[in-house]
Amino acid sequence: MPATTVAKLVDTSLCIGCKACEVACQEWNDQEFTLGVFNNTYQTQPDLTPSFWNLIKFNEHVDDGVNSWLMAKYQCMHCADPGCLKACPAPGAIVQLPNGIVDFKQDNCIGCGYCITGCPFDVPRLSPTSKKVYKCSLCSDRVGAGMTPACIRTCPTNCLTFGSRTDLVQLAQIRTAELKEDGFKDAGVYDGPGVGGTNVMYVLKHASEPEKYGLPKDPRIPWTVSLWKGPLKWVANAAFLGTAVGAMLHYLKFGPKETHDDDEVA
Amino acid sequence: MTTKSLERFSFAERVSHWMSALCFLYAAFTGLALWSPRLFWLAGVFGGGETVRAWHPWGGLFFALALGVMFRRWVGQMQLDEDDEIWLAKSHLYAQHIEAGMPETGRFNAGQKMMFWLQSASAFFLLLSGLVIWFPEVAPRSARLIAILLHPICAAVSMGGIMVHFYMSTLAVPGSMGAMIRGKVSPGWAKSHHGKWFREVSGR
Repeated sequence: MPATTVAKLVDTSLCIGCKACEVACQEWNDQEFTLGVFNNTYQTQPDLTPSFWNLIKFNEHVDDGVNSWLMAKYQCMHCADPGCLKACPAPGAIVQLPNGIVDFKQDNCIGCGYCITGCPFDVPRLSPTSKKVYKCSLCSDRVGAGMTPACIRTCPTNCLTFGSRTDLVQLAQIRTAELKEDGFKDAGVYDGPGVGGTNVMYVLKHASEPEKYGLPKDPRIPWTVSLWKGPLKWVANAAFLGTAVGAMLHYLKFGPKETHDDDEVA
Repeated sequence: MTTKSLERFSFAERVSHWMSALCFLYAAFTGLALWSPRLFWLAGVFGGGETVRAWHPWGGLFFALALGVMFRRWVGQMQLDEDDEIWLAKSHLYAQHIEAGMPETGRFNAGQKMMFWLQSASAFFLLLSGLVIWFPEVAPRSARLIAILLHPICAAVSMGGIMVHFYMSTLAVPGSMGAMIRGKVSPGWAKSHHGKWFREVSGR
């Protein structure tokens, strides 16, 4: 039986910004937390770090003079077609598990950082001390043991749900319909079709403007990365082979360019 | 050989050439290891993936420096003149060892000059894009997206050029390897391959 693709649904309309998921992530993954900058927001820190894989973004939003936060859970999206994996040169450093989780194996990571460039969501972070790249593992260790990810386990509002992707797609559609009934005409699901679908999905109130949540509008593996890891390889192979064969044929047909004997004593 | 051999390349020229050749080979093979998971086994030959990731950029930097020394020394002699244009137009004759109609060449023929400019240009862009790839956490994303494409393209062009260079210097033109190792060529060699240069240095 093929493994079920697992997924995480983030219903941003239900997030209250309690950050319990951030704490749970830090605790389960045994990460040190150092207080960073304070820049007049409720957001824990501006960005992900090598030891902080799950950041609730408090995107400030004004609608008809009413201030609100558009919460977004900034983390690895566990793409079906992962740009990080496409870019990675080290076998086994990035693995895509049968259940859809994209996991980084630091033992095999060489710290080149190509995955950072390949990721359409700008998620992997290179540690300056260990020279390895880190990101959310979707708690593959917990999931492998039949548990739910730490963030899911701790979420108090059902904003976060974990389960089979098929089930969660249905749930996302139900929640979208409910939000539309509540007057959020633009509600919708965000699941990155451009990268083959993401296994971290969002329900957004403003689905036509994901940028407001800090999410890319149409996430895709950058074309330069696709070209680099695709056709360019074969063009280069053909060029090398052509040069080697050309040199061989040239030698067989024309041989070396000899020095004339009568010039030898010139 | 009855007459005194001629100095083709000075000691300094030979040192800078072989320094850049060594660095080039190191950067090329470690670069191939980082180019594709299928070639990653090459990383094992050079001390493992982390070592290769740490040292490939330095190999490249030293290559660029050594090439820079050669560039400064030779750039004046590498300008293409009118004879070179004729030579390039008739380079298919050169490839077939047909000498009738080929202009006499100076110290470097037009093919060597083209190789010089090809390697210099690709090394320049390899250095620029390499610096960007070296520090992914510092370089802006837009620069990295260009660099990851530019770097292997220039590397492939450069390595293709070196394959030709290697063939010419080992098999195709006997005597040229000795010229770059011990610096000396026979007068006959000089007259056959670089007639104009032969007359300049021998006074004949």
